[in-house]
Amino acid sequence: MADVRLKGVAKAFGDKQAVSGLDLAIADGEFVVLLGPTGAGKTTTLRLVAGLERPDTGSVHIAGRDVTRLEPSARDVAFVFQQYSLYPHLSVFDNLAFPLRSPARRMSEADIRRRVAEVARLVRIDHKLENRSTKLSGGEMQRVAIGRALVRKPSIFLMDEPLSSLDAKLRGELRLELKRIQRELGATVLYVTHDQIEAMTMADRIGILADGELVQIGTPRAIYTEPANLHVAARLGQPAINLLPRGLLPDADAPPGTATIGARTEHLAIDKAANGHADGVVDWIEHLGDQNHLHLIVGGRKLITLVDPDTPFGKGDKVTIHFRDPLFFDASGQRIGG
Amino acid sequence: MQDLTGRRPVVTDTHPSLLDRTMEAAARATPEPLATTVRGLSDRMVAWIFIAPTILLLLAINIFPLIWTIRLSFTNYRANRPNEAVKDIGLSNYARILTDSDTWMAMQTTAHFVLWTIVLQTLIGFTLAYLIDRKFRGHAVWTTIILVPMMLSPAVVGNFWRFLYEPQIGLFAYIVSFFTGIPPTEILMLSNVTLAPWAIVIVDTWMWTPYVMLICLAGLRSIPDYIYEAAEVDRASNWRQFWSITLPMALPFIMLAVLFRGIENFKMFDMVNLLTGGGPGSTTEVASITLKREAFEKWRTGFSSAFAIILFVAVFGLANIYVKVLNRVKSR
Repeated sequence: MADVRLKGVAKAFGDKQAVSGLDLAIADGEFVVLLGPTGAGKTTTLRLVAGLERPDTGSVHIAGRDVTRLEPSARDVAFVFQQYSLYPHLSVFDNLAFPLRSPARRMSEADIRRRVAEVARLVRIDHKLENRSTKLSGGEMQRVAIGRALVRKPSIFLMDEPLSSLDAKLRGELRLELKRIQRELGATVLYVTHDQIEAMTMADRIGILADGELVQIGTPRAIYTEPANLHVAARLGQPAINLLPRGLLPDADAPPGTATIGARTEHLAIDKAANGHADGVVDWIEHLGDQNHLHLIVGGRKLITLVDPDTPFGKGDKVTIHFRDPLFFDASGQRIGG
Repeated sequence: MQDLTGRRPVVTDTHPSLLDRTMEAAARATPEPLATTVRGLSDRMVAWIFIAPTILLLLAINIFPLIWTIRLSFTNYRANRPNEAVKDIGLSNYARILTDSDTWMAMQTTAHFVLWTIVLQTLIGFTLAYLIDRKFRGHAVWTTIILVPMMLSPAVVGNFWRFLYEPQIGLFAYIVSFFTGIPPTEILMLSNVTLAPWAIVIVDTWMWTPYVMLICLAGLRSIPDYIYEAAEVDRASNWRQFWSITLPMALPFIMLAVLFRGIENFKMFDMVNLLTGGGPGSTTEVASITLKREAFEKWRTGFSSAFAIILFVAVFGLANIYVKVLNRVKSR
């Protein structure tokens, strides 16, 4: 395992600037997740590290070595693709053994066997080693793909939305497994996703990408509680943060320059209206099982928060709403204070 | 939870009215929920009336001749003597063909042609496809140029190559003599016993390699880039990528090309007929030439019918076995 540094990396495809001026340092053994919408430059960043793309400017360093001009095969990285990129005519065993059989390694067949068995156990596919890779389910295929990355002990694991093509249940399971495996191996991982739950649960640090630029990078906690701007704030939180113009509600000591107030569930105190004063009205309660989404109408705007399943509110109830230490943003969308 | 809120079914949400209106309009336009009779004819009857012309045509030009050929193959019928009594002679036509050394020779010649044309066309065709697939500058132009021979009529190609093979004025003999020093008058491609079979193999390869290339190219293009990228990251050399990805994944396509060319060349007639007519001697007499001679020169209609049936069964059987193998390869 090794550390990875990107210095001022930029890459354009024709007219489209995919990544611009990207600086990113990933420490040895760190799990960094790049989060952003489609087209933000996440995958391009990953491919730049892997060497599948060459940067227009800037440099890529792995373990202190400048690898900017090196071929993917010379960089000692492992890549898990979004698609199940298995070699379809090979068995699970041969897929896992494929990277080990590179002439660059000269590993004995017995060592290969041992290593494959080890990794197969780790990704829980050891019962299907003799199967053809095309005869597996989606989850199994992706576990093999992850396993194929793991067999090699590379400098860094690059994972491009490896769980996005799986169903929700499997995604949840593999999320935990991946994190477990990463901890066990002390692996350096650069992981790309647009799923905030994956980012929040797995990352040591999250990097938020927008339009090819790294907007903010920090621990999941920091990204969540201290977002740099509206874009970052809107990326995290479930339900999404409520962005309200200043003055819609009695604003609790908003600092000067505040244009927008961002309020998540924990930033709102909602009570049933007493003595005639009300800020809003309950529009709808969305039952999710373990909790509910409370939809409020406040001055013609919609506001969504989480409430307990045994919420006392009902449709049409008038409520008072108070901010509790919300997030303040200025007119340009940058967060104020903190 | 992510799924519930993250992927809203936008389309059904925003355009239900449009969809509903379309459905309603469609419902109004169709009068009754489909009348079961039209002028006293049931739906099934109408359906039959519509497909009857095609079926009749098929029966007349495909099924009937086949059955008629089978019937004739058990007789001594001669088409040039329609007034002679036709005698039923059982299986003796078949027995004669299977024991006749001439027909066996023709079968062997055919097998050699099929084998060599397939080997050459597959090797060259796949290599060309592999090179074209590198997507170098101008690869589209080259693809078009390579495809030209395939687009010509076999009759044109046959006559064209007769001139090329001409020892006195032909370009082929001239070029060969330029490189080998053998005088062109000694390069008798079409009348030399050893060269004549190769002359036909060369023409067929020239004409049909593009076809094999096209199918192989489709196979190569069907291999997704990320498989190669994965192999690249996994440190597989180009050599290893070729043997463990390119070839196995393109194999079903290659096999398909071989099947098509195999069936085609099993009944190869036009090219041989134009170039050598089966000669010199009977060195290039493939089965279809023998068949033509028996049927339309010697007028042994019954005998040639039996021969046609044997050829048909052979091709059909081989093709079926081959398709089974092909399916097994594909399902891997």
